[in-house]
Amino acid sequence: MSERLDVLILDDEPIVGKRLKPALAKIGCEVEIFVNSNEALDRINEKEFDIVVTDIRMENIDGLQVLEHVVKKSGRTKVIMLTGYAMMAVAREAMEKGAFDFIAKPFKPDDLRKIIAKAAKALGSPIDFNASDAGND
Amino acid sequence: MSIIIIASDSYKTGREISEKVAEAAGYACMDRELLKSVSEKYNAPEGKLIRALEKPPSFMGLTSKLRNLYLAYIQEVTLSRLLEDNVVCHGLAAHLYILGVSHALKVRILSDPERLISEMTAQENVARKKAINLIKKRKALRKRWSIACFNMDENEPSGYDLVISLSQIEPDEAVKTVVDTVGYRKFKPMTYSIKCLKDKELAGRVRAVLMKNFSDVKVQANGSTVIVETRALKRDKQKKTEAIKKLAGEIKDVGIVEVHVFKDIFRQAVESDR
Repeated sequence: MSERLDVLILDDEPIVGKRLKPALAKIGCEVEIFVNSNEALDRINEKEFDIVVTDIRMENIDGLQVLEHVVKKSGRTKVIMLTGYAMMAVAREAMEKGAFDFIAKPFKPDDLRKIIAKAAKALGSPIDFNASDAGND
Repeated sequence: MSIIIIASDSYKTGREISEKVAEAAGYACMDRELLKSVSEKYNAPEGKLIRALEKPPSFMGLTSKLRNLYLAYIQEVTLSRLLEDNVVCHGLAAHLYILGVSHALKVRILSDPERLISEMTAQENVARKKAINLIKKRKALRKRWSIACFNMDENEPSGYDLVISLSQIEPDEAVKTVVDTVGYRKFKPMTYSIKCLKDKELAGRVRAVLMKNFSDVKVQANGSTVIVETRALKRDKQKKTEAIKKLAGEIKDVGIVEVHVFKDIFRQAVESDR
């Protein structure tokens, strides 16, 4: 990998960020985790992340609003949507609003790493996914 | 890339538009030529496969059991081809079983009624009035067929992303509209929609195997887990469960097989009357 990827993970279930952080660190991501949308948006306003991973269904500000905010702030940032309530209409709405990808929970850390690798490639910073020992969780 | 599924009130019109859309979008076109592969794979007569796609069960035609089996074969082969993407699919009833896959654009093409009447007049060698009646009958038959086979009315516009009437829109404009629409970001494949399609494909393969022996099965897949619903008498429950688990477990990509057996109340009622 040419440089580290800055990744923000937002999910109101703390276990999600806790599990994903080490999994993404393995492939060279610098990960910040948030469980509160407002705090995550404050951080997004301060810093341009390469990738934002956000849950959709959250109190106050939902993932689609976070997506809109990120897209408005930086067209470069890739936003990956997570949801435990996947439905076609929401998936289409997220894609139309500029999401990079959409994945339904539950998923394996490897599934997200594959998407991160795809996003890294689209950002021009490809990850050597096979050399990352990624499959050994 | 995406999938475009085209359904029409006329097979001929649907096919023409599908071929033009495929050419304009640079996609492959998949139509009833696929039935040859289905026929070879499952040793099912092509004519009967077409009948399963067109007609509801009747005394003179296919039984429900056979029609459902043939439709399961068609679904299995169609779904496996649709995994390849960049495909326009027509004439294989995919609009009724590809549900919830966000990168599949579903289009209904309504023929120009005048063209439909003149086609029917020539095809059946009947007068205009008779042709109009035949068209009405055919529409009712299709409704009956789609409800009997998939519990959906294929004439219902809410089942589609786009409905185009060729009495108002020229065929070339219709083609352009379909190609432009599939270019929207919302029809782009994503991890979730690809998984949905893969789950359907696996369920289709399992269904095609199980339905040879158990005609009442309903199959769903989630990753490598397959969920099968069926009906049985209490005394047959274990035997049926084991048989389904064995058959499904031998299929590639299948991990866990969950079998949910519900009471066969109709058979139970018949037997209790004896």
